[in-house]
Amino acid sequence: MSKIVILGAGISGHVAAAHLRRKLSKEHEVVVVSPNSNYQWIPSNIWVGIGRMKSKEILFPLEPLYKKKGIGYKQAKVKTFYPEGDKETKKPFVNIEYVMGEQKGVTEKVTYDYLINATGPKLAFDMTEGLNPGTNKAYSVCTYSHAEHAWEALNDLIQQMKAGKKAKILIGTGHAKSTCQGAAFEYILNVEQELRRHNVRDKAEIVWIANEPKLGDFGMDGMLMSYGSNIMKSSEMVEMVFEDRGIKWIIGAGVNKIEDGIAYYENLDGEYLSETYDFAMLIPAFSGHGFKAFDKEEKDITDKLFKGFMIVDADYTPKPYEEWSVQDWPETYQNPAYKNIFAPGIAFAPPHAISKPRVSKNGTAISPAPPRTGMPSGITAKLVADNIIDTINGKKELHHKGSMGNMGAACIASAGYGMTKGSGISITTFPIVPDYKKYPDTQGRQLSKTFGEIGLAGHWLKMALHYAFLYKAKMKPFWWLIPE
Amino acid sequence: MTQRISKSKRFFMMNPIIQFFKFIWLSLKILVIVAGGHGGTRNSTTP
Ligand SMILES: Cc1cc2nc3c(=O)[nH]c(=O)nc-3n(C[C@H](O)[C@H](O)[C@H](O)COP(=O)(O)OP(=O)(O)OC[C@H]3O[C@@H](n4cnc5c(N)ncnc54)[C@H](O)[C@@H]3O)c2cc1C
Repeated sequence: MSKIVILGAGISGHVAAAHLRRKLSKEHEVVVVSPNSNYQWIPSNIWVGIGRMKSKEILFPLEPLYKKKGIGYKQAKVKTFYPEGDKETKKPFVNIEYVMGEQKGVTEKVTYDYLINATGPKLAFDMTEGLNPGTNKAYSVCTYSHAEHAWEALNDLIQQMKAGKKAKILIGTGHAKSTCQGAAFEYILNVEQELRRHNVRDKAEIVWIANEPKLGDFGMDGMLMSYGSNIMKSSEMVEMVFEDRGIKWIIGAGVNKIEDGIAYYENLDGEYLSETYDFAMLIPAFSGHGFKAFDKEEKDITDKLFKGFMIVDADYTPKPYEEWSVQDWPETYQNPAYKNIFAPGIAFAPPHAISKPRVSKNGTAISPAPPRTGMPSGITAKLVADNIIDTINGKKELHHKGSMGNMGAACIASAGYGMTKGSGISITTFPIVPDYKKYPDTQGRQLSKTFGEIGLAGHWLKMALHYAFLYKAKMKPFWWLIPE
Repeated sequence: MTQRISKSKRFFMMNPIIQFFKFIWLSLKILVIVAGGHGGTRNSTTP
């Protein structure tokens, strides 16, 4: 009998728990530890942030589902890792602290045979002075409660614009090393469309601010893609959309300080500038959670497990950009020091960025961190679950592999909400991490699988994914037939 | 605002009938990419 403990119930933790429970007999225990009692379909937060969806439409409580399916659940957060146990406890364990109810503040040792760290990122607002969602007129859509809050403020501003106020809206990244530009990109287009719907578009100046060196970089070094019968750069596509929508842009900008209605930033030319705004939505830096790890003698071994995020089977040797290769990227998400620990989704430490690193004339690093979107998060979680199942069944090697250098991703970016007026920019990329050796003439990607499409169908697709993935997450009949 | 998307292109992008077929085509194309699978990079020569 084996006990598998999963930390986090986001896309990757929940996918891993669901597959493990379905495929393993009941003698094996599956336990999820996560502080948020709800599962949330994060991609739809964009629509909560423009008031077109209620947060209850994108979430559901985890405990009743886990109870029904025979998955253990602890509403707690992990604090420390003991992968060898300690003097009293021979088995490996994690220390957790309950966050709700009567047990709030109580700590517990949770032992395991296999551990899946799927704790995603820490939303590191504290890395940018003054950036704290809901203060200084700056908001976030990274969680459903942040998105609700953002909509309240935006709606308030729309009402003021209806009464004649001219306003400036700033959307993008709130730190020089932020990632997740795609989410901000979706939000700016949705906000722009909502302002048109409310007949106040002429009252607003909308500005994109991002740490990307070029529009459409998305933390992935941009991409060359097929667009209809043409071949286009993602930078050209985004520029076309922004110009068409009257959105201005500031790129290569590392936002470093927020004051009430003012964003201060440094650009790649080394200039220190600022931008005023009446409403801002800025994606913070994502960091590791700062977990600590100890061996059985209680000696600090954090550096065996963490490098910010969790160390896995990647090649972390520091190399210049020219020497980066897809082979640096992990395949099994297994920690090399403790083979029963895995980290899928955003929780694993990437070997390096995907976008070319850039520094300003003053030496400040201003370039996007590597994104890990929903699809790779789900795929890596499933392969980790499958490898654990194989190991429990006696297999010696890990057969399931999925490097982001040999994996495609579909990103359906909402460009406006509405069954007849909505729009989406559907972009697929293969591979996610460009393989410049294999595809030297097409910027590291396979053109037949890297394409972009703009139109109403994209909105329907994003809607279809919303319903399909919530159906899957609720583990309704035949949920496993829906791919990750 | 600079019109960068022509009227005919915009009609194509927003026409529900055309876009219905586009939706089917896009869904299938994305499914093929997803079903195309994934793998390692160190010993394999896939895709
Ligand atoms: C606004 C927004 C829109 C997005 N849109 C898209 C999109 O359209 N398409 C797409 O593919 N991707 C999208 N993404 C990215 C996608 O949401 C992420 O790739 C995905 O959520 C990563 O999954 P994860 O499980 O690794 O991390 P998360 O989803 O962040 O889950 C982490 C989990 O760990 C838990 N946790 C945190 N700390 C602890 C702790 N100490 N102990 C235990 N548990 C802990 C959290 O409560 C959470 O349950 C979007 C992201 C954002 C922010």
